This record gives sequence, C-alpha cells and structure tokens, in this order.
Amino acid sequence: MERAVVDRLIAAVGAGAVLTEPAALRAYECDGLTGYRVIPAAVVLPSSTEEVAAVVQACHRAGVPFVARGAGTGLSGGALPVAEGIVISLARMRTILDVDIAAERVTVQPGVSNLAVSDAVASWGYFYAPDPSSQAVCSIGGNVAENSGGAHCLKYGFTLHHVCGVTLVTADGRIARIGGKAPDAPGLDLCAAIVGSEGTLGIVTEVVLRIVPRPQAVLTMLAAFDSMAAAGSAVSEIIAAGIVPAAVEMMDRLTREAAEAAVGAGYPDCEALLLVEVDGPQLETGAVGAAVDSICRGCGATEIRSTEDSSERAAMWRGRRSAFAAMGRVSPSYYVQDGVIPRTRLADVLDGIQLLENEYGLRVGNVFHAGDGNLHPLVLYDAAIQGESTRALELAGRILDVCLASGGSITGEHGVGVDKACQMPKMFSEGALEVMARLRAAFDPSGLCNPGKVLPTPRLCGEVPGVYRAHPLERAGLAERM
Amino acid sequence: MKTTEAALPAFVDLVGEKWVRDATAADAVAGVQPALVVAPEDEDGVAAVLRLATRDGLAVVVRGGGTKLDWGRPPRRCDVVLSTERLTALVEHEPADLICVVQAGMQLATLQRRLLATAGHRQQLMLDPPPPGPQTVGGVLACNAAGGRRTRYGTPRDLVIGARFVLADGTIAHSGGKVVKNVAGYDIARLLCGSLGTLAVITQAAFRLHPVPQAERTVVAENVSATRLAELGDALRTAPVVIGAADVLWPDGLLAVRVEGTEESADAQAATLAAQLGGRVLDESDARLLQKSMRHAPWQGDGTIVGVGVPRSRIRQLLDICSDFAASAVIRPCVGTAQALVPTDSDVVIRFRAAVTGVGGHLTVHRGGGAIGDAAFGDADETAVELMRAVTSRFDPTATLSPGRHLGSV
Repeated sequence: MERAVVDRLIAAVGAGAVLTEPAALRAYECDGLTGYRVIPAAVVLPSSTEEVAAVVQACHRAGVPFVARGAGTGLSGGALPVAEGIVISLARMRTILDVDIAAERVTVQPGVSNLAVSDAVASWGYFYAPDPSSQAVCSIGGNVAENSGGAHCLKYGFTLHHVCGVTLVTADGRIARIGGKAPDAPGLDLCAAIVGSEGTLGIVTEVVLRIVPRPQAVLTMLAAFDSMAAAGSAVSEIIAAGIVPAAVEMMDRLTREAAEAAVGAGYPDCEALLLVEVDGPQLETGAVGAAVDSICRGCGATEIRSTEDSSERAAMWRGRRSAFAAMGRVSPSYYVQDGVIPRTRLADVLDGIQLLENEYGLRVGNVFHAGDGNLHPLVLYDAAIQGESTRALELAGRILDVCLASGGSITGEHGVGVDKACQMPKMFSEGALEVMARLRAAFDPSGLCNPGKVLPTPRLCGEVPGVYRAHPLERAGLAERM
Repeated sequence: MKTTEAALPAFVDLVGEKWVRDATAADAVAGVQPALVVAPEDEDGVAAVLRLATRDGLAVVVRGGGTKLDWGRPPRRCDVVLSTERLTALVEHEPADLICVVQAGMQLATLQRRLLATAGHRQQLMLDPPPPGPQTVGGVLACNAAGGRRTRYGTPRDLVIGARFVLADGTIAHSGGKVVKNVAGYDIARLLCGSLGTLAVITQAAFRLHPVPQAERTVVAENVSATRLAELGDALRTAPVVIGAADVLWPDGLLAVRVEGTEESADAQAATLAAQLGGRVLDESDARLLQKSMRHAPWQGDGTIVGVGVPRSRIRQLLDICSDFAASAVIRPCVGTAQALVPTDSDVVIRFRAAVTGVGGHLTVHRGGGAIGDAAFGDADETAVELMRAVTSRFDPTATLSPGRHLGSV
C-alpha cells in the first residue's frame, strides 16, 4: 500500500489505530469462515463516526477497497479482507450511547456486543430479542450486516424487525442519518436495504434498536420422538393449532448423541428431539404448554419434560447450543451448512439428504430451527483423508440444491458473503441479480465497499475454497457455528 | 417522446383492446390527468407495457384499488395508469408454513376471506390498513400502510418475505422467497414497501401469516385527559398482557386496547387491564363496532390526512399538537404514530410538521397530496435523501414510474 495512503489513514485516526505489521494483520485474515484467508494491506481502528468517515474518504480518494469488521464471528466470509485493501475494525466503537426505556429504544455503536444490549436494559425488565448463538461476542454492527436471527426469531423477528435507524458512512465517506427513534420516517426505507446487506452498502456507525419487555413466564419443553418425521408433524400440528412458540428446535440422533457426549445434557435417548419454548403472560403459557404437550403425545412423543425454572431451562438449551461444537466428538472435521426449507417439506428434504449421504459415503447430522425452516446439516468428514474435504463441501453444496428444490433458500442466517456468492444464480435470475447490482451501485458506484461479497463475480466463482479450520473463538468455546 | 395517442395501438397490441381505455377525470392521480388506463394480464404483460412506456417517454403510475393514489406528492407527470386489476390470483396458501403468495392486484379483504376459507386453519395477514375501500395487496405494500394491528404485528415491511416486481425498463426480478427466514441477497421486497410506486411495479408478494387469536377482548376507557392517556400509554409498556392493538381517538379521549390469547387468558388479561386503566371490557359486538369506527376515523371527514410518527415516549406532546392542528386523530400510543385529519392547507401541514419535528418526529401526507403539493415532505437528512435519489435513478433512470411523487424522487 502506498505510504501516502497510510499517512492519510494515520492522519484520520492516529498512528495507534493503524496496523500495518504483518503479524498484527494476520489476526484479521479471516472471520468465522476460516477456509478463506486474505491478509489486508492495513487495519484501521476508528473510534467515532467522523473517524470512520475520514478513513473511508481516504480510501475513496485513493481507490482502495475497504471491508468493515465487527467481532469476526460471521460464517460466510462477509468480513474477509480484500488483498491490497484495508479492514476497518469497529472494535473500538463499543459505547452504548443512549438507553431510552420510555421510547423502548437503545442507541449503540456497532462494536457493542449483542448481549451487552440486553444486559444494559435488563434491570428495567427489557431485552434485545435477536439472539444468535454467538451473542456473547458477536457485535450489533455485524448483526445489522447479516440480519442475524437466533433461536427465538420465530416469535420475535430478526434484526431487521429491531433496527429503527442507523447512521451510515457512505462508500465515499459522507454521513447519512436514516430512520431513528420515531417510526415511519419519510422517504424510501433505506434501513430495509441496509440491514442484511453484508457490509456492502456503507459502514453503519450507530444503530437505534428496539427493545422489548421480558415475558412474564417462559415454559420450555423437551419431547422425544421415534423419527424426525414424527417430530416434524408435531411441529406442523402445533402451528396448525394456531400456536406460535417462542422457539422450536429439532435435533436428530447423531447431533443429539454428540451433544450428550460433549456436555451431558441428559436428553432422552431418541431418534428426534424437539425443544419447544412458549412465553407470554403466565395464564397464556400454561394453556399453550398443555396444548403443545397433548399435540406431541398425539404425534407419538415417547417422553416429554417441561420446566419453568430458568436454570433447568438453561440446561435444556445447553445441549442444543453446543450441538455444533460437539460434532468434534464424533468426527475430526465438519462443515456447517445453512439452508432454509418450507417447514412442511422436512421429511422430503431429509430423505434427499439421506440419498446424498449414501452417494458420498459421508455422514450428515441435522439440527433444525423447526419453527422457521432453517436447517443446519452438519457434514462430517476427515480432512486427513485425501479429497474428503472437497467431497464434503460438494455434498454440502448439493444439500442447498435440495433446499432450493423444496422452495427454500441458500441461507437463513449465515449470509452469502464469499461463501455462497457463486450459488446466488441458483436462486435468482440474471434480471434479479442485475437489479441487486443496481441497488449496490446506487450506494457504492466505485465498488470499493466490501467488494466480492454477496453477488457473484467471474473471478470469485472460478476459485475453490480452502479447508475448514476451527476459528480461534470456536476453539476457545466462545462461539459456536450455528 | 411519442404522444400517448400515438402509443395507443401498441398498448392495444400488448394487452388487447378490452384492457386499454381512455382515462376519465376519475382516473386522475392527485389532480394529474392521465390519457390511458392499461390493464395487463400478467407479469410479462406488465413488463411489456413498461418497456413500451419507457421507450416512448410516457410516465406511468401503477394503481391497485386507487385508495391511496394521493399519498405523497402528486406525480410530476402521468400519461398512463397501469392497473393491476387482472393480477388477482392467490398463488399459494400453505397454512402449516404460515405463508401465502398472492398477486399484487388482489384486494386485501378478498385475501383475508380466502385465507379464512382454508379448512382447519384460521390465519390472516395481520394488516388492517386505512382507508376503507378496495385496497389491494400491492397498494398496501407500496404505501407500507398499516392500522391498529401494527402494535403487535408491525407494518407490511415486517410481514412481507418476498416479492416479484418489474422495473420501468421491463426487467423482471424477485427478492426473498416464500420462507420466513432468508438472508440471500438484498432485501428489495422490503425496500419497495413505502416506495409509493417509484421504484418498480410489484406483481406478486409472499407474506408471513399469523394465526387468528383464539380470543380477543377490548378494554375501553372514556373521556380520558391527555395527561392520563400519556400515563396509561406508558403503563401499557409493561402491562402483563398481549396487546393486539391500542388506539386513542382524539380529541374524544377514548382509549381502546385489544388483548389476545386463549379464551381463559384473554378474559383474565382483560380484567387485569380494565382495573389498571379504570376502564371496562366491551362485549363482542360493541368491540367489533368500535374497531370498525376506529379504523375509519379520521378518514370520514373532509380534508387532508397526515401520518405522524414520534418516539412513543412523546405521546403527551403528540396529543397536544393534535389538539392544536387536527380536527380528529387516531393515535397509537404503543407505537408512536397518528393519523390526523387537518384542513387542506399547506400552511397548516407545515406548522403541524414543525411542531412534530420539535419532539423528534416527522409527518407525511396520506390524503390530499394533490392540494398540498411540495409540502407533502419536509426537510430530511441531505445525505440520506441523496441515497434515496441514487436508488431511484438506478432503478428508474428514465423517471417513468410516478416521477416526483416521493421524497428524493426526481
């Protein structure tokens, strides 16, 4: 990188906030998708909206591409650096700027962790609803970029339902204030485009979030079934009965056994385990819980446990939350796929995955956000066996074809990033992709803002990714791949 | 640029003689008179009509039920009204997945009826937008119009999960899909919500549905002062009830709160709430009547309707401001919005807006845009408006679709 550009970055944020030493840069070479690695030319750590704007202006003037980075827990390579480009880390922007309980809004900088928002409002009986499993470490800025969900988004919605406004540093370094505490801001709903845009439409430097009151009561239930199909039909019947649980999770035998081995969750021995959570006013959860219980029994549940106790609830969730990491117990390596299917097509899709397992001679475990149809097949392989990692990736890719054939999507929460950009044409016509490119060009006509992500490019789609390696956060047990 | 008359035979070729007609005064869009009304049969027809209009330099305004054509500013030009009246199919209702896919020209009321007709399920698209009339799904989306139910379920942008649409140059595209959870690609379906027809013509949309609650109860408190209403609105934040909708009729001082749940829980919730509000629980038929009159107020009176949004903590100030400017208003204390009836006078709109801006809010025009003109929008963040303008000109570089109607639309 030209010295003049580095000097301009230093002028923008100070020498202490610009990293150019190779050893320091290495820490930023990948995010949670560790198969892709690129060392950036520099990393900049701004502390304010104005500093971000100054850094972006410097990039814009010099034609240097830039990639915003939050906690680096993303799973699609959304924060993968660009060679000769810079990484703008928002890790130093971690101030909660405003807590306005009466307005039910919290304004934060992008580096604030997801959980810190809930912690900041807990004493008023509130919480921030989107709860990705990495919530202890992942940042709000990253959540905005990825439109993060979580186990409870069936009832509470995704990040997009909880972002009321943002401050955006545009791709040429101007500052736009979009939306805010008040609803129905005039003009186009730019927030709708920005949330989930994977950092390609600018850099979000402030976020106004909606918080919600904690439910009066929470009832968590575990139900054991003899087959995934039976558990799936229980879910369909719960929905058909007009019940919208706060969460519905499903695990197959393979993932349940791995979770059992890893954390001793004490789950019942079964082919399919369903975890259902209902919340709301006390009277409501009691009645709804009884209805869920009887539906599960009617669908052949062999065992049902339920609790309203928060520590027992945590125990029930522990196995589910550790399911991905636990796969290390049953396989040297694994690849986590993220696809979406219409919930009603679960049985067909699992049959399709079974056929692929047979064809490839690899095992696939399935963890399913059954409420919203988000399927996480875990493809198990041994990287030490020549060619197996490539076959595992190919199998994982073909699972997406099965998801699409069922009427679903190639990603429910991990995002497209670099990982699935080349899969986009499977889901979107040339016309649709061209319209998406127009949106992007409206925000970033120079193409400097997180280039190579989301939309397919010929260069990108000729390359093959490297082998998966555990992310440092994952090895430390701070994050899970879900 | 061709004249609209010269383009007429080409439109007839595209959609058939029966579906092209000369526009009458009743087809005017916020006072702007079009020459033709064209109703294509399907999405390809929409694309063909738009391609032709763009080629010939004709401005197009898309129309569903025609109930919200004067939201925003009047279009600078309108040569052709593109009617979605033939796009009326319910493409899919999958109750176990809680989704439906519907063409844009279907009336919302028809959709709700069709959804309820699915045996064994009671599901709805949880939108009850104003004004009364034959509103279509596409129009509700394009205006992001929402009524009392937004308190619990949000606005169209919160419930749409995918859309098919056509750009002015005839490009057919879609975003999202028919699954609730989906982060593949840019969320253009949501960007189209509230775009007032300036970016694309929506031809089809997929929605997340919700079950109709087993039971609903309505609690009302009457003749409540502004101070007390603000206190009650604040108390509702943490009340141990599931609030389906909460509306204040002003200056009447009537607060109506709907709670939802199982029969048993709805009764208990209503009793709790009635005690807290110092109100009473309505019987079912009174509740329905009130719901209907709330939904239609203040649209019944003559004048301009403005939509207001403020932080929900500023309800007290909002009530006072409405007292100063509005003949009547429906205020949603749990959301921070109001729809208010004001005299058709741009000066009143400007002063109303200034007052609302003073408490951190904003105001736009929802009816009467034709007479209010440029005052339909106030000042906004300049960079944000530049981004809006950039998006609009990338989607519609020829300014074919409802030119000038929206903030940042040129």
